[in-house]
Amino acid sequence: MSEGYEKLKARFQNGEIIILDGGIGSEMLRRGVTWEGHKVESEPAAIRAIHADYIRAGADVISTNTFQLARRSYMNHFADAEHMKRIGAADLSRRAPLLIGEGVKRVLEARDQVGRRDVLVAGAMTTLDWCFRPDVAPSLEEMHAEYRETVQAFKDAGADLMLFETFNSSKEARTALEAAREAGIPAWVSFVCDWQGKLLNGETVPQTREGLAGVEPDVLLFNCAPVPDITLALGELSRELRKRPGPRMGGYAHVGRFDPPDWMFTDEYPPAQYLSACREWVSLGAQVLGGCCGTTPMHIEALKKGLPRTLPV
Amino acid sequence: MAYEAVKGKLARGETVLLDGGVGTEILRRGVYWRGHGIEQHPEAVRQVHSDYLAAGAEVLRTNTFQLNRRAYLDLFHGLEHMRRIGPEGLEHKAGRLLAQGVELAREARNGAGRAGLAVAGVISPLAHCFRPDLSPPLDQCRREYGEIVEQMKAAGVDFILLESMNGVREARVACEVARSSGLPVWVSFVVRENAQVLSREPLAEAVKAVEPLGVDVIAVNCAPLADITAAVAELRQHRTGPIGAWAHIGRYDPPSWKFGFYPRFSGTESVPPAQYLEAAREWKRIGAQVIGGCCGTGPEHVRALRDGL
Repeated sequence: MSEGYEKLKARFQNGEIIILDGGIGSEMLRRGVTWEGHKVESEPAAIRAIHADYIRAGADVISTNTFQLARRSYMNHFADAEHMKRIGAADLSRRAPLLIGEGVKRVLEARDQVGRRDVLVAGAMTTLDWCFRPDVAPSLEEMHAEYRETVQAFKDAGADLMLFETFNSSKEARTALEAAREAGIPAWVSFVCDWQGKLLNGETVPQTREGLAGVEPDVLLFNCAPVPDITLALGELSRELRKRPGPRMGGYAHVGRFDPPDWMFTDEYPPAQYLSACREWVSLGAQVLGGCCGTTPMHIEALKKGLPRTLPV
Repeated sequence: MAYEAVKGKLARGETVLLDGGVGTEILRRGVYWRGHGIEQHPEAVRQVHSDYLAAGAEVLRTNTFQLNRRAYLDLFHGLEHMRRIGPEGLEHKAGRLLAQGVELAREARNGAGRAGLAVAGVISPLAHCFRPDLSPPLDQCRREYGEIVEQMKAAGVDFILLESMNGVREARVACEVARSSGLPVWVSFVVRENAQVLSREPLAEAVKAVEPLGVDVIAVNCAPLADITAAVAELRQHRTGPIGAWAHIGRYDPPSWKFGFYPRFSGTESVPPAQYLEAAREWKRIGAQVIGGCCGTGPEHVRALRDGL
């Protein structure tokens, strides 16, 4: 465990509120950096600047711009390995680990640039296949191998922790957590929720916790859903944790609409309104707060300035 | 009628010149690939069509590859989820773009000042064109192709081109549905290097499945030059009517983000027009009558075909 993470754990113990960053892909779009990929290597300055702005805004933990970046993201475009070799660009099979390394570097550079070495680097990784489609998840065997490979790439690059985000089943989260444990890197898990406080595969909060029995993460979060849906899911989680204490809880909602391949920005939750929602989540017991797609450094700054320093006792 | 001229050429054993890559060319011109460039840069899309006509193409393909309801729906957990987190009307976006895409090709054709040019309404496999394993159940295929063919017809295409079909089962349903619209139909298969369909089914089976449905052209596409050459030879063995061929050049280079088929091919300079022409001459010699370019090719490739075939 990194020294930074040890310190973070002490802050958790003190009941301190921990601030995550906000959206990255959507923030690229808002800044006119078009989205044809993560661009961690092709537009390093733009990515670094986004991370740096989130650090200045007050984020304690910065996630890498590596969402959905895994070997499978490229493989999925081809019929099979033979087809990929025949018609695909030569380096496709090496790209994911390479870009993960670059993604981590951009956060490390931003940290140095702002002079805030205490900020933690979270290796952001979503489900191996599409985050909103639990039905297309790979087999357990494939998952094990791919998580092992990907988590190791993050660890080698210097991530302090893994942020498994936008997950859609406890089964895949469990596999990811096992890989992190094997690699010896702390991990948090964040699930997408629907509008009924359930995971996209239909699991309830208690079922999800059962599914994670024995490998529960340090922090369990909900993300990538509209504010009211996150509020609902965190309410469920709060009740569950009161019955059976366990991980710390957290949440980060998206603001706007997923308009593939882009993000549609809306004015439903400007920073002050988003802060109000986060205050409510803190009152439910959430200790880690941030923003998902559509949130900006202004949102994070509002959280830093407006949220209580510690959980209510 | 625009298609009559093309049909006449096919009947007389003449060569019909197709355009080149549409999506890849739009991308090459710096258009951001959102909604196929149709909403934000209609003039660029129209210009690509016009440039292909100026280069000699007699058939224009609409910029509608993978513009179907499923392409958007697949990115969500389901319709309810799409409505919850997507923008209003996203479920109808594909149909809207398709109609606009067809109109851009028609405008280019009508402005060309030449007769006998046809607009082919391009319909791709319902799921990712390179993933035969994701092909939907038959009843869904029937319903979805029905809707798309209807949209194509209403938008005014001259005929339907079922392009980059990756398996026999889906291709057969697509042909049936397209033929029932009364429009002429061409069908083209993505092939592997051994002249098999991408699904690993023999081309002979593909021909057997679609020929009785009354398709005017059966073709092979979206594979490297040498693979197309092998596939055309195989196709000729099993098909007596008109056949066609168009190869991609360069390497398929999808981004690190999964959004269906993203038309980026890198290293396309590795096959200059003269080299492409050489392969196309061989396809013609084998018997291909419809010849054009697939992903990565541009107007210069089509010009070389016009001048050299």
